[in-house]
Amino acid sequence: MSKIRLLVLDVLKPHEPSILKLATTLSDLEGVDGTDITLYEIDSKVENVKITLQGNDIDFNDVKKCVEDSGGSIHSIDKVSSGSVIVKEAETHQDGPS
Amino acid sequence: MNKFKKFWKKLGEYNKIAKISEIARRYFVMNSFDGILTILGILIGTYIAKVQDYRIIISTGLAVSIAMAVSGISGTYLTEEAERTKKLKDLGRQTLTNMKYTSIGKAERAATLIVSFIDGLAPFLSAMIILTPFFLINLINLQFAYYISISISFLLLIILGGFLGHISREGVFKNAMKMVLAGLVSVTLIFILGVHG
Repeated sequence: MSKIRLLVLDVLKPHEPSILKLATTLSDLEGVDGTDITLYEIDSKVENVKITLQGNDIDFNDVKKCVEDSGGSIHSIDKVSSGSVIVKEAETHQDGPS
Repeated sequence: MNKFKKFWKKLGEYNKIAKISEIARRYFVMNSFDGILTILGILIGTYIAKVQDYRIIISTGLAVSIAMAVSGISGTYLTEEAERTKKLKDLGRQTLTNMKYTSIGKAERAATLIVSFIDGLAPFLSAMIILTPFFLINLINLQFAYYISISISFLLLIILGGFLGHISREGVFKNAMKMVLAGLVSVTLIFILGVHG
């Protein structure tokens, strides 16, 4: 089966553990080469973050467990790239002006 | 050594999540203060009553210390557990996750245990330190034991007040004197009631 190389998740999590801790924990997972976490919404108790993971063989179940262990929940899987290369999204006429 | 390092690192993480050291500090000071004033009260009371048998002072002090320890541990455990369970449930409702087995749930449970233990240990430890002269009654006479114990009580109050002043950066001497004043008020009231009672 093909391997997941890029994964983008929309996650809702409490403030603690912080995104520093979550990012390092996710980066330590086998198959993950790097992690990017961007905060895009915050309130008094929780925060919405976009998690981008890149690697040679990302295990979604491990990632999910890691996120849930931090008290977060995956709202949606926004992007996945799998295969031997990371394929960039192709632009088409149907895409509006960026 | 590795296991200890791992355990210490985990405790550090839990402390960041559940703010254990802040709450533990608060409980430690509050309950040490309770312990000191309670034993000071016993000492003044037995002094006024002219108790000559040191064993009465030791057994009364020990009984009260144990009661304070048990009360501290159980009371704090039940209170903290209820509050933290509510906090986890509220958070779980927001994230649609069962927080019980997450790192947050574990941190909150660790906090409850640590804080309860400190709540019980603080008054017990202060009481035992103050009563130490009575355990050494073979070396010093009873009157002297009373004076040393009362002095130790006020010394502990000064140390506690100084500690609070150091944390708040509001003046070590000022806070130490506030604690000593509380002790003096307590002693004065007991003397007045003891004399007129």
